[in-house]
Amino acid sequence: MSAEAKNPYIPYPVTIEDITIENDARDLKTFKLVFEKPEHKKAFSYLPGQFAEVSVLGMGESPFGIASSPTEEDYLLFTVKLTGTVTQELHNSEPGRKIGVRGPLGNTFPWDRMEGKNILIVSGGFAFTTLRSSIVYMLDKKNRDRFGKITALYGARSPGELMYKEALKEWQEDSGIDLTLTVDREPEVPWDGKVGLVPNVLRELKPSADNTLALVCGPPIMIRFTIPALQELGFTEENIILSLENRMKCGIGKCGRCNVGSKYVCIDGPVFTFAELEELPAEY
Amino acid sequence: MKDGVISKQDFPQFLNHLKKNAKVFAPVVTNGEAGFKEWSEEDSVEFSYSNLKLSPKGLFFPQTETILSFDAGSVEEVPSHEEKMVVFGSRPCDSRALTFLDKIFSEENKGYNDPYYMNRRENAVMISLACSDPCRTCFCSSLGSGPADEAGSDIVCFDLGDKLYLKAVTEKGELTIKDAGKVLSPGDESVRKDAEKQTAEALESMNNLEADLPSVKKNMDDSFDDPVWDRLTRNCIGCGACTYLCPTCYCFDISDEERMYKGKRIRTWDSCQYASFTKHASGHNPRKNKKERLRQRFMHKLSYTVENQGEVFCVGCGRCITQCPVNIDIREIITTFAEK
Repeated sequence: MSAEAKNPYIPYPVTIEDITIENDARDLKTFKLVFEKPEHKKAFSYLPGQFAEVSVLGMGESPFGIASSPTEEDYLLFTVKLTGTVTQELHNSEPGRKIGVRGPLGNTFPWDRMEGKNILIVSGGFAFTTLRSSIVYMLDKKNRDRFGKITALYGARSPGELMYKEALKEWQEDSGIDLTLTVDREPEVPWDGKVGLVPNVLRELKPSADNTLALVCGPPIMIRFTIPALQELGFTEENIILSLENRMKCGIGKCGRCNVGSKYVCIDGPVFTFAELEELPAEY
Repeated sequence: MKDGVISKQDFPQFLNHLKKNAKVFAPVVTNGEAGFKEWSEEDSVEFSYSNLKLSPKGLFFPQTETILSFDAGSVEEVPSHEEKMVVFGSRPCDSRALTFLDKIFSEENKGYNDPYYMNRRENAVMISLACSDPCRTCFCSSLGSGPADEAGSDIVCFDLGDKLYLKAVTEKGELTIKDAGKVLSPGDESVRKDAEKQTAEALESMNNLEADLPSVKKNMDDSFDDPVWDRLTRNCIGCGACTYLCPTCYCFDISDEERMYKGKRIRTWDSCQYASFTKHASGHNPRKNKKERLRQRFMHKLSYTVENQGEVFCVGCGRCITQCPVNIDIREIITTFAEK
C-alpha cells in the first residue's frame, strides 16, 4: 500500500480526458477521468453502486455516484449536475485539467444477492448514474450469464433530458436488456418511447416480481410514487433496493453529517433496501 | 513503579522532567480563565477548578487543522503528528470522552484510520486529575463513570492538599512514573487510602439521575415523532455552543482555502445545530428545523451511538448545561425518556 493510500483524505490525481454534455439544459456533464498513476488505478477497485469524492483543489470536494462500470477499465465516469461551487468549477473545466478522486466509497448494489436473479431497474432524471454503471456491468460478456432477465425503465422530463444517449441507443438494440424510455409529457420532437411518469409507466409495463430485485434511483418524488407501484406488483420490501444521497464531507464515517438515524449514508450506504429504510427516521 | 507521590511545591520538577521528551500541556490561568496551555517553568499550574471551560479534545482534534496543502495542482500531505505530548489536568470525564472519539477516528470504525487524530493520541500520555469536589451540574456517576474513572487516562492524579498522588493505570503511565522516579517518591498505603476516601466522598456528593440508560434509548427511539420534542426544543436558539463545548462531539467540516493556486484543505469543528450542516446542494434539507436538529443531537448521543459504537456519547461533564444560553439541560432530556 502506498503512503497516499493510507491517508483516506488524500485524493488520487486524475486528468479530465473528455467532457460530454448530457442534456438540452446543458447542466449535466459527464467527466471521463483517467488516473495519472497505474498503482492508483489498481487501488481504486469498485463495484456499481459506490461513489467517490471528486476533488478540485481550492474549491473543495463533492460526492458523486460512479457512472462508469468496473468493466470499463481505463477510465472513471462521473455525471455532474451544475449546482454549487465545485460543480460550477467542474463545468467550467476543459479536458486536460488535473483534478483528484478519493474513493471508492460506500457500499455497492447487493451483487451477491443479485446473482441468478432477474433485475428490474427503475430510474428517473440524473439519478441514473450508478444504474448506468450497473447496466454496463451486467451486460458485459463476462457477467451477463450471472443474471436472469434484465428490464430497465428510465424516464426524464423530455427526450433531451435523457442522459447517456448513445448507450441508450445501444441497449435498445441489445437483446440482453429490455429497455423502456419514457418522458413526462408528449414531446415536440419525434419520439418513439413512452409518454408518462415513471410510476405510471411501471404499472403499465407490469414487470414480474418473481425472483426479481428492483434497483430504484430517482428524485424523491419519483421514489415516493414508485415504491407503492412496485409493492402492487408484488415486490417485497427486501427486494426493493434504493440508493440515498445526503450532504457529505469526509465520505468515511467521521464528519457526522450524512447520518439517517444510526446509519451513515457514506459507510453504511448509499445502497439500502426499502426494508432497511423503513426502520430509519426519514431524515434524507 | 505503579504509583508515586510528589509535593505540590515540587510538582514543576515533575513537569520539567516530562518536558525533556514531550510538549507538556497543563491548566494555566490566562485572562482569568483556566485552560490547557503548553506549560513552561514560569507558568503556575492551576488545581482549583471543577472543570475547565474547554476539554482537552482540541489538543487531539483541533478546532481548525490542515489536512493537506497544495501548490499548482499537486497535493502535499501534512507531516504526521509524531510529537510526544503529555496532558496534565484533564478531568476523568473528559479523558473518558477521548475513548469515544478513538472509536470514531480509529480504523476499527469501518476500516478508515484518521491519521491526524490517531497519531496525536498514540503519542500522548494522559494524566487526569481526579475530582474531589464535583459541581452541581456534574453527572458522570449517572453514566457508569465516576470522579476517578480511569478510562482514557494513563495516570490518574489525586490532589491531596499539599501533595499529589499519581497512580498509573496503563503501561504507558507506568513507564512515565518509572521514568520520573528521581522526582517522585513511591506511593504508600496511607496516600492510596486518602485517594480512595476522597473519591468515595466525591461520589457520595453527586446527584444521581437514576435513569436506566437502555430504557432511555428505547423510549427515545419510540418517541421520535412525539410532540414532547416540541416542548424540549422550544427555547433553543441554535447557537451550537453545546456542540463546541462537548468533549464527545466530533462533527467537522472540510473546506479549501486558496490564494494564487496555493492553499490548503482544512477541517473545522462543525455543528449539527446549523441548518447548513445537512443542506443538500439542491436546497433540500433533511433536518430543516431546530427541533429536528436538537433532536438529532440528543438522539445521536443517547441512541445512535449506542447502536453503532456501543456507547452513550455523553460523559456527564455538564458543560452543555452550564453554558447553554437558554438552559436546555441534557439531564432533563434523559429523565424525560427514562422509565418512571
